[in-house]
Amino acid sequence: MSLASEVLTGAVRGGTSILYAGVGESYAESAGVVNLGTEGSMLVGALAAYAVASETNNPWAGALAGLVAGGALALVHAYFVLHRKANQLANGLVVLFLGLGLTSLFGASYVSKPAKSFTPWRIPGLGSLPGVGDILFNHDPLTYLSFLMVPASWWLLTRSRWGLLLRAAGERTEVLASYGHSVRRIQYMAVVLGGTLAGLGGAQLAIAYANAWFENMVQGRGFVAVAVVIFAARQPFKVAAGSYLFGAALALSPALQARGYGINQFALDAIPYVTIVVVLVALGRRRAAEAPEGLKKVFEVSPST
Amino acid sequence: MTAADVPVVVAPKRALPGGVSAGLRWVVALGGAAVIFGSFMLAKGANPFEAFSSMFAALRTDTSLKGIATQSAPLIFAALAVAVPAKAGLVNVGGEGQLLLGGIGATAMSLALGGSLPGGVTLVLLCLAGALAGAAWSALAGLLRLKVGINEAVTTLLLNYIALDLMLFLIYDKWKDANGSGQPVTAPLPVPERLPLIGASGLHAGIFIAVVATATAWWALRSTRWGFQLRVVGGNPEAARRAGLKVGLLLISAMAVGGALAGLGGVVQLAGAEFKLRPGFLVSYGYIGFLASWLARHHPVRVATAAVLLAAIAVSGDSLQLDSGLPAATVNVLMALVLLAVFGWTQHKKVATT
Repeated sequence: MSLASEVLTGAVRGGTSILYAGVGESYAESAGVVNLGTEGSMLVGALAAYAVASETNNPWAGALAGLVAGGALALVHAYFVLHRKANQLANGLVVLFLGLGLTSLFGASYVSKPAKSFTPWRIPGLGSLPGVGDILFNHDPLTYLSFLMVPASWWLLTRSRWGLLLRAAGERTEVLASYGHSVRRIQYMAVVLGGTLAGLGGAQLAIAYANAWFENMVQGRGFVAVAVVIFAARQPFKVAAGSYLFGAALALSPALQARGYGINQFALDAIPYVTIVVVLVALGRRRAAEAPEGLKKVFEVSPST
Repeated sequence: MTAADVPVVVAPKRALPGGVSAGLRWVVALGGAAVIFGSFMLAKGANPFEAFSSMFAALRTDTSLKGIATQSAPLIFAALAVAVPAKAGLVNVGGEGQLLLGGIGATAMSLALGGSLPGGVTLVLLCLAGALAGAAWSALAGLLRLKVGINEAVTTLLLNYIALDLMLFLIYDKWKDANGSGQPVTAPLPVPERLPLIGASGLHAGIFIAVVATATAWWALRSTRWGFQLRVVGGNPEAARRAGLKVGLLLISAMAVGGALAGLGGVVQLAGAEFKLRPGFLVSYGYIGFLASWLARHHPVRVATAAVLLAAIAVSGDSLQLDSGLPAATVNVLMALVLLAVFGWTQHKKVATT
């Protein structure tokens, strides 16, 4: 495989978990709630998926468990932020810590236990196309599901009535209230839905990408997802672009090493995070100005002079 | 906000003096956290009563008290690193990376000097180098916030991972100890460059430096012009700007001071406790420090107290590993539950529930 095609294939494989989490976070942020606990939702999703896949020998049951676990942790965030008015950024990190602790506690026994994982499945026809066949159509089922989730989420967020309510909850709460909708209920739905998608992303990481569980395996992907959502301005297709960019940067390191380039592994490991910071810098200012009113309250404690 | 969301100010219950009812809330909140944690341990097949009693028992030994003091030193710095920027309304989640930068800066300085100066002078220079490196790392996030409008919480988080890779790069490569039997660690700091032990306590000077730093931060935030202006910016940045304050400069300085404090924390751990950088150097201290600062609402003295409290939880958690066979990171659950309890149930403002 050529370097380009290897990196692009890796972009999709490695970016999918962030894509799920990022689209999930787009729902929450559209409704005016930032969830740094996305990292935690991915973690509990990854462990739940791996544990259930290991116990039942069914990766689909694992994916479902990951989804539920991610949503459940996001519910904790939603409750404390929406009901108890906790600070969103701080509470998100507390929720992450909870997820980190819980997955260490319950995950220790799964560390070197095998689990039935998803295997790549080449789509007949499309999969044998030159170039794109390998890059797009030779993946695990959760990756294919994400191909459907992105346009579906785009439609839901930007074209559906429900998406309008969601965005109103983040932007013009008083309008929503005067039409008799409960802002809080909509925000709950958005945050929990975001958590379920992050959990599914964690599941993809554990039982399709890494085929393993180890402590703190998400390694900041949830934070990257939050960063991607900022420069993607909560638009699913742009979130996909940002996620795949991170995935490509991830894939660059093994691809270069396999070709015998003597570059220090840890210098390469920093590339994905540096890439995301650079893109944030390049696109940041414009995006920040477009954020919903509700988010600006969270993100902009003070104006830039 | 809907009408239902508007916080309703409920008159405080007059039956109890404010202090007592607040104290009661704390007891109930922390008790709830302990019960939930116990049920998790039960689910894992450990006896929560035995686990709790061994946690308390572990705290009474001299070794544990020493352990708490030793762990508290970098943790207090990590917590102050969050508290100072928070006064200006900034969320610094980069303690993790800034601590590492402190260790990296100090190691770089030690290697550069190569023992050419007296130990005491070198030690001061190590502290300076570590503080500067930490400050540069956090000021970068502050600068991005100011010039590009990216929230500092997100950039400091991402910078943590970059800092970790930077340290790993150095200790696996250039700085790897030639006599370290292939382990990815730096050569141990020469003995004259280490923090002195204080009297017969067997404690290194780090905890005392941390106490001095806490007092200094408290004084600087409370009694200096800079501290006052920071608080004005944190309270109402628009008003601060109209009053002619240099808001940008204040924000950057708050971030830089935070990073410098975290950097010092890294130096204290390096020169006082570990003497070399290793892959797990100060891992999760930055986050625990963050939690400590939010636990105590960023008041320096209370923040330092909270840091000691969390250090105690962490040390008592070691007994979970030894006596109940639970993973060491299990205490993170207890810490998170304590924090949630505090966020949720000890706030003075009541929120109408609908």
